[in-house]
Amino acid sequence: MSSPAQILLETHGLTVSFGGLKAVDNVSLALRAGIVTTLVGPNGAGKTTLFNLITGHLAPHAGDVRWLGRSIRGLPHWRIARDGIGRTFQDLKLFDHMSVLENVLAVTERGAWLWQTGGKAGATERLLRAESALEAVGLVDRRLMRALDLAYAERKFLSVARLLASGARLWLLDEPASGLDPRSYERFLSLLRSQVKRGSTICIIEHNLDIVHGISDRIVFLDQGRVLAEGEPKSILSDPNLAAIYFGERAA
Amino acid sequence: MLAYLTNLAVLISINAILAVTLNFVLGYAGIFSMAHAVFFGVGAYTAAVVAIKLGGGLLLATGAGMAVAALISLALALPALRVRGEYFVAASLGLQMLAITVFSEWKAFTGGIGGITNIPPARLFGFEFATPAQYLVLTLLCLAAVLAIVRLLVRGSFGRSLKAIRDNETAAATYGKNVAVVKTIAVAVSSSLAAVAGSLYAFYMSFVNVESFVLDTSVLLIAMVVIGGVATLTGPIVGTMLILLLPAALSYLPGLPSTEIGSIQQIVYGAAMVLLMIFRPGGVWSLRRGQGQTR
Repeated sequence: MSSPAQILLETHGLTVSFGGLKAVDNVSLALRAGIVTTLVGPNGAGKTTLFNLITGHLAPHAGDVRWLGRSIRGLPHWRIARDGIGRTFQDLKLFDHMSVLENVLAVTERGAWLWQTGGKAGATERLLRAESALEAVGLVDRRLMRALDLAYAERKFLSVARLLASGARLWLLDEPASGLDPRSYERFLSLLRSQVKRGSTICIIEHNLDIVHGISDRIVFLDQGRVLAEGEPKSILSDPNLAAIYFGERAA
Repeated sequence: MLAYLTNLAVLISINAILAVTLNFVLGYAGIFSMAHAVFFGVGAYTAAVVAIKLGGGLLLATGAGMAVAALISLALALPALRVRGEYFVAASLGLQMLAITVFSEWKAFTGGIGGITNIPPARLFGFEFATPAQYLVLTLLCLAAVLAIVRLLVRGSFGRSLKAIRDNETAAATYGKNVAVVKTIAVAVSSSLAAVAGSLYAFYMSFVNVESFVLDTSVLLIAMVVIGGVATLTGPIVGTMLILLLPAALSYLPGLPSTEIGSIQQIVYGAAMVLLMIFRPGGVWSLRRGQGQTR
């Protein structure tokens, strides 16, 4: 890569503790446009907490989050979402009693008032956006089913469709591939690749090393709330010290 | 007999307005309010005062009731924004208790325990509603209007926002829903439409007092929604009919001593509730819908 791509999101010295435990400890990292960054590390390393700090679900005790050069620390999470930061959850958090189409349509409608602005043209545009998102994840023929009744892999794809339809520029994916069968998993990877080609920036929390190899441009290795290492997949994954930590033995 | 049935039909349509508007927040937004009767009362008292003191007609009285109810509903929206689930139930219960005290003590506005009597008949564009049959037409038209408004809202983007918040508040906010504003608007809409029922009730009865707006009323309204079917458009109307027709039907059962009707009603209600929750947890109206339907 000749010149590094634009920095979309930066964290500076981000810190939060729960009781005496520093869940995220002085984490500074940069997510660049069009780059797939994977956060790896053992359970409890602070990966999901880091997502929660970025999206405003948690308030940091110290440090700053900057989006497109502007601090977004302390903003409510619906504001941060409207600025273009989207995420998925480990437990998916679908709108279970709504139809598949409604799940996706709902995230295209941001206005809180009784009706949306933009009139008929706006409504048509949102519907098309929702349907093309369902098309991209292969859920078009499930559009009238209740989200609760979908199979597990379909539910995962629905959570990605929601993100896709929301038009977020930065995708924060929390263990998106866990529990997927090999075929769904391949489809998921190609979906991510095409999304990256369209210019999205993606940050993934993932335990599956195939995904880490298959799609990551950069890896950030976290342990006990701190960034232990950062770099290209090859160098990180071949480091015996990090492997030891990841597989449960504490490095001396 | 006809007069009796007309009276029953008027009361059913007024209660159906309340059940439909309660379902708007309970079924679609997941806000479990135990204080819906408060807004029924606020609408009734305000309409009565406007009609008597200002000589206002139906439109002015109802409009004033809606405005006051929407304002007071902010007292309900505030806890709804901060707490969820059973904590909100407790908060709305508090509002209901507070309102009963105000209704029965604020003599200048509500007439105290005795209530307000001699409310003039409703006037609309020079027409004066006098007979129960005329009121039946009026209440049915209002019910249809309220149902149309609720239907429009829940089928559109606002309804999707409500349901998204109901199903997962965190996810709704994560995808850009301003949860606080959506909830506040939902509560205000529901409360002001409930005030329409209050205004109709005041004009129809020509008398209001605190008895009609107590906790029992709120609980009965919840029963109407739950029995009929939460988050369905027609369910609450079916529930209202069942609950109000049941005592009427029981009183026609042959061989039943009239002194026993009250306790038999209680037994039938209780048994029906338990059986319903076992066999139709989605409400009576869900009988007509397939499994796995969205709501």
